[in-house]
Amino acid sequence: MAKRRKRGRKKSRRKAVRRRSVWGRLFLFLAIVLAGYITWLDYQVRHQFTGKRWSLPARVYARPMELYAGLELSAEQFLSELKALHYRPVAKAVSSGQFSRDGNSFQLLSRSFDFWDGREAGRNIRIAFSGKHVAKLSDGNSRQPVSLARLDPVLVGSFYPAHNEDRVLLQLDDVPVSLTDALISIEDRGFYSHYGVAPLAILRALLANLRAGGVVQGGSTLTQQLVKNFFLSSERSLVRKINEAIMALLIELHYNKDEILEAYLNEVYLGQDGNRAIHGFGLASYFYFERPLTELSVDQYALLVGVVKGPSYYNPRRHPERALSRRNRVLDVMAELELITPEDVTRAKSRKLGVSPFKRKAINTFPAFLDLVRRQLQRDYRDEDITSEGLRIFTTLDPQVQWQLEQVLESRLRALENGRKMKAGTLEAAAVIASVQGGEVLALAGGRDPKFAGFNRALDAKRQVGSLLKPAVYLTALEQPKRYTLATLLDDSPLSFTARNGDLWEPRNYDRENHGEVPLYQALAHSYNVSTARLGLALGIESIIKTLRRLGVEQHLNPYPSLVLGAVEMSPLQVTGMYQTFASGGFRTPLRAINAVLAADNMPLQRYPLSVRAAVDPAPNYLVSTAMRYAVREGTGRGLYQVLPASQDIAGKTGTTDNLRDSWFAGFTGDRLGIVWIGRDDNQSIGLTGSSGALRVWGDLFAGFNSPDQAPVAVENIEYQWIEPKTGLLADAGCPDAVQLPFIVGSAPVESASCVKKNGVLTAPVDWFKELFE
Amino acid sequence: MRVAALIPVLLLILSFCLLPACSSHPPQAYPPPVVDKSRPAPVTQPSHASDKPVPSYVQPRQQVPNATGEVSHPPAVLALLDQAEQQANAGELESAAASLERAIRIDPRNAVLWYHLATVRLSQGESAQAEQLAVKSNSLAVGNAAQQARNWRLIAQARREQNNPGGAAAAENRARELDLR
Repeated sequence: MAKRRKRGRKKSRRKAVRRRSVWGRLFLFLAIVLAGYITWLDYQVRHQFTGKRWSLPARVYARPMELYAGLELSAEQFLSELKALHYRPVAKAVSSGQFSRDGNSFQLLSRSFDFWDGREAGRNIRIAFSGKHVAKLSDGNSRQPVSLARLDPVLVGSFYPAHNEDRVLLQLDDVPVSLTDALISIEDRGFYSHYGVAPLAILRALLANLRAGGVVQGGSTLTQQLVKNFFLSSERSLVRKINEAIMALLIELHYNKDEILEAYLNEVYLGQDGNRAIHGFGLASYFYFERPLTELSVDQYALLVGVVKGPSYYNPRRHPERALSRRNRVLDVMAELELITPEDVTRAKSRKLGVSPFKRKAINTFPAFLDLVRRQLQRDYRDEDITSEGLRIFTTLDPQVQWQLEQVLESRLRALENGRKMKAGTLEAAAVIASVQGGEVLALAGGRDPKFAGFNRALDAKRQVGSLLKPAVYLTALEQPKRYTLATLLDDSPLSFTARNGDLWEPRNYDRENHGEVPLYQALAHSYNVSTARLGLALGIESIIKTLRRLGVEQHLNPYPSLVLGAVEMSPLQVTGMYQTFASGGFRTPLRAINAVLAADNMPLQRYPLSVRAAVDPAPNYLVSTAMRYAVREGTGRGLYQVLPASQDIAGKTGTTDNLRDSWFAGFTGDRLGIVWIGRDDNQSIGLTGSSGALRVWGDLFAGFNSPDQAPVAVENIEYQWIEPKTGLLADAGCPDAVQLPFIVGSAPVESASCVKKNGVLTAPVDWFKELFE
Repeated sequence: MRVAALIPVLLLILSFCLLPACSSHPPQAYPPPVVDKSRPAPVTQPSHASDKPVPSYVQPRQQVPNATGEVSHPPAVLALLDQAEQQANAGELESAAASLERAIRIDPRNAVLWYHLATVRLSQGESAQAEQLAVKSNSLAVGNAAQQARNWRLIAQARREQNNPGGAAAAENRARELDLR
């Protein structure tokens, strides 16, 4: 028994030991788990804080407005730019972001801005307008003339990451002290002394909540709130509270107060715009007041700080009374702590909320243009970099041109539909406007609804180009001055051509007429199909394809005869690329929508520089452009001068496809190139030619531009001769219908028309005589 | 008899007015730009005669070389040219290029700006692009022999750097020819 008992005692002692070791192990296990858990939390916290703390959407800017005396810009256009930049009209501008207007003069305190090539300092400037141009630019203080001033650029959109968080990143140094004062005084007075949690505050809150029978007070420190915002969970549970507290302690362990405050200012959730979450005070300032944080007043800081407690409950747009009393509460606390004087509080409290009206604005103002920007960026950047690295993208978009384009499309398409008794919304359109010499895309319409971010016809609608292709055929001819000049007579009599595969091709003119022998420049100006087809066949389809390649046409081209009449499908943007070479005197410049990309910290990442390549000799390019000038003066494009001044130099070409499915116009002045397409998405007939459709849009648009009259650039190796069009022979000023045409030197006809022989004896000495007295 | 003679005339007038473009502004004949080769002429000249005095801001922003072949620029362009020069001297070549592009945006037909952009690209070792930019400058400098000579010298240098001594010599010759004008 004793043995047994002994054994039993032994057993129980062993059991106790075992029990003790079980507890020990359990404890050890728990300790390890807890340590592991804390390590995991620590990793999370640090990952959030230092690693990829904030994914910043890319910001996309328009071109900055450059102001200088002589600039073509009306006071009203300037005003629209200032509005888009959210400059505030005041009686007298005293701080940056403000302007005053007195009739045709403005005084403006511009904002400083970091561009690719450095910082443009804000300045006090005076701008005087006269008619539709800037008459004078001077310094607002010294009144000395200023040669050039660059404004900050209009923010035209952002590329957001998948979860639609938006932010304008702040650095603590840039944050006004009034704001941090207000924040700390109302949300966490002990911020600078606690270690991440404030047990007393929690106790106080607990008591208050018990007394009130609900949650009326939160005891969270700013650090705890930061944790809460990091992990985006609104769940209220004890476990979460404990987690939050541990993480807050960990944050305090790793980072100093300034770092924590800066993170808080950028992280805190302050509102909602559709599915876009407004995070941080930087963006909230734009969201509620449409201007940068530094331009706000103390009552506005107090409002933003007040909103922290409940962005939806204190939404100043939806619940202005609640927001107002909350703002005043913040101001009172600030006064209690003597952060502002009683007078300032009284003044601040008397102010209205000052919140801008809520605009349910599309995230991107110009979605079609931004689509082009994004596609150009995708050649150089990964998608996640575009949406999260806070890239600053400087584009070539000119808002003035874009607004006009949108307005003209809207009104002209409606007029075209009304005029042809079409159902409203039948017509679709696309357009691209670019600068002639720089190849910068100034404006782009992907459809008639400028806010529609879907199918981008300017980029993706590949349509038959019809006669828009003809200038390439004529250029091919004019590059052989011994064979072809503008005065060469082309045969426009009926043509019947049997292709190698046995197909019969019988092109016909739009007017179903044949015009006998026509000078080359008129065949293009009137867009005659038969003479063009015959010319194309004589030149050879392959040589025309070679010309198209030089003009930058890259897509597959079928070497069929119908190519010369435009049986090829191109997007408006591709057509723009092709005409850009004609417009810029034979130099190819890749179309650009982006000028430069900066990293979030303003480090230059990439430039998209201006580059050129001589693609076509300037002299034949000048000849074909001259024929396009005749198209506008007396050919298919002559409707343009009903809306544009006769003094303006315009070259252009209409395009119409079979059964009137597509209406095109491509044209350029000295400074801008525009391509307009009108058609239907289902490719049905629209009953419009290039002249009766797209040309109207182009005319309205360019009439609004007010470009200065510019003569064509003089070209070497070109001489002018009088020509009698019907014979293509040398004429003189006295011959009826004679025109002065340019020729590559030595290529002009030598034989004179009969009218010269009749007048010759008389006219030549008269001219010589006249010159003596001039 | 007299009425019958008028019918074709009336028909002609009617047929003109049935054209879609029958408007109050009849299309003007399109006169050529005038280049007087006997003196250093502006690059561009107005193609239309106008009785109204032309306000200074609509005058083509043209290069008008003075006796030494220097060109006067609008103040905004001059400011950017100065800035580009400072940046280039400080070795900030890409910034200098950006300033010149700004200037070209303001005054796109100014051959001098394209020439300076070509020199910046040449300094950056982009000799092929430098050559193209100088060719572009040439196309805008018709009538300005001094500028064209500068361009050809730059082209010669760019061609040397592209191991094209033959092309460089030809360009030098063009420059010398232009010096004599």
